[in-house]
Amino acid sequence: MFEKTLIPVAYGERPDELRKIGRILKSLGSESICLFHVSDTDSFFGGSDLSWLMLLKEALEEIGLNVRIWTGSDHIASAIAEAALLEGADEIYLKAKRRWQLRSILLGSVSRDLLRLADTPVFVHKIRPLLPGEGEGTITRDDLIVLYATDFDEASNRPLPYVMQFKGGWCHILHIRGRRADPGSEKRKSSEVKEKLSSLEEELRPYYGRVTSEERIGNAANEVLFVSDQIKADVIILGRRRPAFLSSPMGDTAERIVSGSKASIFLVP
Amino acid sequence: MNRSYFRKETVFLLSSGIIFLFIIAGVLQPDLLDAAASAIHSGILDNFSWLYLISAFFFLIFVISIALSKYGTIRLGYDAERPQYTFFGWVAMLFAAGMGIGLLFWGVSEPLVHFLTPPPFLEPLSPESAAFAMRYAFFHWGVHPWAIYTVVSLSIAYFSFRRGMPALISSCFYPVLGDRIYGMPGKVVDILAVFATVFGTATSLGFGALQIHSGLTHLYGISSAISVTIGIIVVATAFFMASAILGIEKGVQVLSKINILLAIVLLIFILLLGSTPYILNVFSSALGGYINNVIDLSLQAYPFAGYEWSRDWTVFYWAWWISWSPFVGLFIARISRGRTIREFVMTVLTVPTLFTFIWFSIFGGSALYLELNTGVDLASVAGEDVSLALFVFFEHYPFAGVLSLLAILLLSIFFVTSADSATVVLGSLTAGGNLAVPMYKKAIWGFSLSAVAIILLMTGGLDALQKMAITAAFPFMIVMIILCYTLWIGVSQEEERVSE
Repeated sequence: MFEKTLIPVAYGERPDELRKIGRILKSLGSESICLFHVSDTDSFFGGSDLSWLMLLKEALEEIGLNVRIWTGSDHIASAIAEAALLEGADEIYLKAKRRWQLRSILLGSVSRDLLRLADTPVFVHKIRPLLPGEGEGTITRDDLIVLYATDFDEASNRPLPYVMQFKGGWCHILHIRGRRADPGSEKRKSSEVKEKLSSLEEELRPYYGRVTSEERIGNAANEVLFVSDQIKADVIILGRRRPAFLSSPMGDTAERIVSGSKASIFLVP
Repeated sequence: MNRSYFRKETVFLLSSGIIFLFIIAGVLQPDLLDAAASAIHSGILDNFSWLYLISAFFFLIFVISIALSKYGTIRLGYDAERPQYTFFGWVAMLFAAGMGIGLLFWGVSEPLVHFLTPPPFLEPLSPESAAFAMRYAFFHWGVHPWAIYTVVSLSIAYFSFRRGMPALISSCFYPVLGDRIYGMPGKVVDILAVFATVFGTATSLGFGALQIHSGLTHLYGISSAISVTIGIIVVATAFFMASAILGIEKGVQVLSKINILLAIVLLIFILLLGSTPYILNVFSSALGGYINNVIDLSLQAYPFAGYEWSRDWTVFYWAWWISWSPFVGLFIARISRGRTIREFVMTVLTVPTLFTFIWFSIFGGSALYLELNTGVDLASVAGEDVSLALFVFFEHYPFAGVLSLLAILLLSIFFVTSADSATVVLGSLTAGGNLAVPMYKKAIWGFSLSAVAIILLMTGGLDALQKMAITAAFPFMIVMIILCYTLWIGVSQEEERVSE
């Protein structure tokens, strides 16, 4: 499911950093990588010399990944989303921290646009999980803590196959909802949710060392961020809902989680 | 035992305790109470008068939106339920809720006072200020008050009839507070509703007593000392307490119906004996002016000139309606079981409003006719004593003495019926939403209402009544804004309920 990953890159990225990323992606099941560069004609660095891209390619090939290089132009986020579709990528990988920042992608609006536009799952790599060589050793698949946020609607059910694919040490299922308007409906809803959560736990048990679940009432973004910090999740998996017209200016749930989380996000459109 | 009693009766004990302290403070230190109330009142007005304007407009937009949305077809009761009362019976009861001391008190005087003392950008006693006066009288008594009542009554009706919860304001907070509605947060909401009701109703009772007194002084030359006003309140209290405690609700209902009939007779009498075409022209043009300017009027605080005017009138009215909303809201909710949200909102917004417009056109329009066309100086009477204007106005009609007596009778009956209903509502709010209220609670609330009205009249008269209404309404306005949110959550869960 994660066989082919598209990584948008920009001038200035370092091969050794990319190698670390490659290792993480390989451990998640990636076999081939598509390095995608959107050339910005106005940029000081924009030029015809793309030898730096070849260096990145070689760095990834060294660790046993198949690498292809693509370049494109036009609106950056749209170009990345389109390339991922044409290339048949299983996911788009975005690194969102410190030195190895995609110069243009981290300007904010591009990554926001990409999260909104992409028809391919987007993996936003934040502080957790640590890259090899960062902090206290590299994370192994068995240590991976996954937080799966769902409200059982269609958008949050779509990530389920990906949750299974991630595998790892611990999967925590978080169900968030609003409170019903009266105690009777609330009680019925709560027992219905508990039932669904326990059958979901059973479904995910073969893929994880431990599966737990929790039901919370409140604001989806706040609760996901709170629980993710509490369990020190490495990856939060959630579905993307088409934002309602009014929610866009204020930022929808996925966007708030992506910007506020320390854990990486796997967002399934 | 004591602890469990306290837990069960927290709302009653805390709210009656605080109001008791208020009464004691009023008796022992009236100046201190007046100073404290004035400080709070001016703090609210200086900083939040804009919030009253925006909130009232928001409530109007909110209730219209919910009525026109897909949720408009939701029934206030179970799906198979049919309305408890016939449409005409229901509309008649809405009339009853909408009419009261306020219409008699302000019907003649409000247009006259606006005409005499408009905001500084208008020439007093000019045709422009007459048009302005009628437009603002329509505005203050138009759809906004009913939108304010609708927010509360719709929330109570939805959460109690459709969701099976007690008829309390705190029940509507379940979507945000959850089981904490049974704890202190829910109790605080109910206590705020009790405060608003006590001070809102006491304000009306104060108006009523002032006007009955003015009428009696005008007719029979009775002393105008404040002790007579207090005596009127004491006598009226004896009547409504007897009615509430002896449980003669049926008698009160009959009295209430007679009162509406008498008011309509009075209305028709003034219409036919006054300048009918003039009144109808006033109605038509004031309605046009109102419809044409309703958005501007809703949000207009006159910050550059006339700010004081807007604060003294519009903000006072909005606060007064807000303070009445738990009381009227509970009453309207009770009679509206089985109606759909759309039918409920549209009828409540239009029917009583239209009646009020007719009332103001007839009384206010006739008063302006006398002032502008016959040289009668009514405006200066209203400017000096708003409660006297109605009786001086009657002097220009045949059977003036009978009309004045009729008005005093109407005011007295309205006083008794309003206070009686308020006592029952306060009792119910402090008895977990039950209508079977223990007698001692009715007695305590009845005395509290009258005592608060007396204290306010003694400490500062009409001015103190208005100040207290504004102060008590402020926290409840915040409660109402949250009510809109919880109601929206409630109705938006309707689709999911089918699958639950």
